[in-house]
Amino acid sequence: MISLKDVKSILIIGAGGGLAKLTASLIAQKFPEISIHGVDPRDTDFLVRKENIKYQRMKYTRGNFERLFREKSFDMVLHLGRLSHAQSDQASLSKRLDLNLMGTSKILELCLKQQVKKVLIMSTYHVYGALHDNPVFIPEDYPLKASIKYPELRDVVEMDQIATNWMWKNQNQIETIVLRPCSIIGPQIKNTMSQYLTTPYVPVPIDFNPMFQFIHEFDMAKVIIKCLDRVPTGIFNVAPDEVISLRDAKDHLGVPYLPAPIFILEQAAKIVKMAWSFPDYFINYIKYSCIIDNSELKKHIGEEFCRFGPKETLELLKLD
Amino acid sequence: MLDKLTGIFTLSESEKKKFKKIEEALLERYPVGEDPWGLNVNKARNSLKKIYPIYKHYFKVRVFGKENVQDRPYMVTSNHTGQIAIDGMLLSTAFVMDIFPPRILRPMVERFFTALPFIAPWAAEGGSVLGDRTNALNLLKKGQSVMVFPEGVKGIAKSTPDYYKMKPFTRGFYRMCAATKTEILPIAIVGAEEFFPYVYHPRIIQKALGLPALPLSLNYFPLPSPVDIHIGEPIKIPEGLDQDSPDKDIDEQVFKIEKVIKDLIDEGIKMRRPFFANQKGPKK
Repeated sequence: MISLKDVKSILIIGAGGGLAKLTASLIAQKFPEISIHGVDPRDTDFLVRKENIKYQRMKYTRGNFERLFREKSFDMVLHLGRLSHAQSDQASLSKRLDLNLMGTSKILELCLKQQVKKVLIMSTYHVYGALHDNPVFIPEDYPLKASIKYPELRDVVEMDQIATNWMWKNQNQIETIVLRPCSIIGPQIKNTMSQYLTTPYVPVPIDFNPMFQFIHEFDMAKVIIKCLDRVPTGIFNVAPDEVISLRDAKDHLGVPYLPAPIFILEQAAKIVKMAWSFPDYFINYIKYSCIIDNSELKKHIGEEFCRFGPKETLELLKLD
Repeated sequence: MLDKLTGIFTLSESEKKKFKKIEEALLERYPVGEDPWGLNVNKARNSLKKIYPIYKHYFKVRVFGKENVQDRPYMVTSNHTGQIAIDGMLLSTAFVMDIFPPRILRPMVERFFTALPFIAPWAAEGGSVLGDRTNALNLLKKGQSVMVFPEGVKGIAKSTPDYYKMKPFTRGFYRMCAATKTEILPIAIVGAEEFFPYVYHPRIIQKALGLPALPLSLNYFPLPSPVDIHIGEPIKIPEGLDQDSPDKDIDEQVFKIEKVIKDLIDEGIKMRRPFFANQKGPKK
């Protein structure tokens, strides 16, 4: 198994994201001899440069990736560039299908061709779906039911499946890790959950109170590094042991909210969507729990991999 | 009359003292906050404060066989009666209020139940969990006692002529016990059938409407039928049986448990208190 000590260069796809920036900084700090190359279609000028981190603004096209892999060689590839499904219109759907599915396939194909030693792909716990009959502690081999109710999550599920199928098919040639983290929150992360938690006067269901696992961005970045360093090929859920209910999380943050029954929320979401990008599937995630099992990951990186519990994570979000 | 009515919802001084003692024991035993299934001891305590007077004064619950319960996890396995799961609520209350040390049982509920607004989160705060193998195994491994009604909805939704006749048990609960070597605590609840003494289930219409049950009853508010909970001796899992044992071997053990509970019911009927609507046993 390859470890970070044997690595000379790492490619980070989606390097402009909060988690990617944090991960790059931590790797650069701990392993100054590794050269990090970050690509992102967003503006990379504002990103903090370090001696061993280089950023490149690049449109995610087949040609660009082929050129990148031709010109540079990488020992590890971190695919953190999944396009968020925070918007649910048709245009963004086709964009997502293009990048999340076609893009991922192409990147994996190039990794194999260029003899990359390890690939880490960031999926999400959303793939399991938030359903009323979810067991608590969903293991990695549980069916991915997210797209049953919300077709808008189909690309997320399919991207996960492309990655996992590819992983098992090529396990003798390349180490691949697929991570399915719970909600990542932190001052640098601007996902739907962070926005929902911190925005005042958003409606919160009074007739349901699902449990949540929150991982702090810093803990998540450390998990990624540990995975690159010492975790073998496989699919791993990433979540802390502790949980918190939605209403407790809101109360803990001290952000005022509007309590409302879920059927009103569903109707309100249709209106809110006109002004604010609000994904349809999100309603279900604030209605039913989707608690994932972290025992597989613990076998490799130890029991205490999270420094912050959910309440501390929320405290840190409050400081933002 | 009014005094009688308010008396149902209030506790006497001695009951209040007992409740306080139990509250302290509960807080010592369970961590403050929420567990991954949604149990919240503080909220459970508040619910119990409302349920206990009803348990004590409306349903006048008596518990027999307390000496059979030790301080260890069990698969608490009971007959299921009374059209709605009041029997589960009373059994949960009994294990907190009448058995020491108090413990919060984790009732396994039907899949449709977890989709019910207001009720599902309230029940989860009190300890209920979705009746799923993963949940049961995880809870048993964590040293919690799980409550199951292996008759399922068929057991609870019976028409009057079938009262106190048990439906066949499913095997799932036994496989979970075999996997974790958890002892089974057999329970018979007597008296809950008469919460709704005259009920008819039109099965054809119920199936056509896709409903889990369709009880046509003379009353839709539970009558104050006195309830007795009979706890049998724990049943160990025989050596050599595990969760992958053949159905034949599992069925043999499940039949034995059914028989134990049936016997407890028959004994319980002989001991029950008179009530005007009793379908079996003395009438007032």
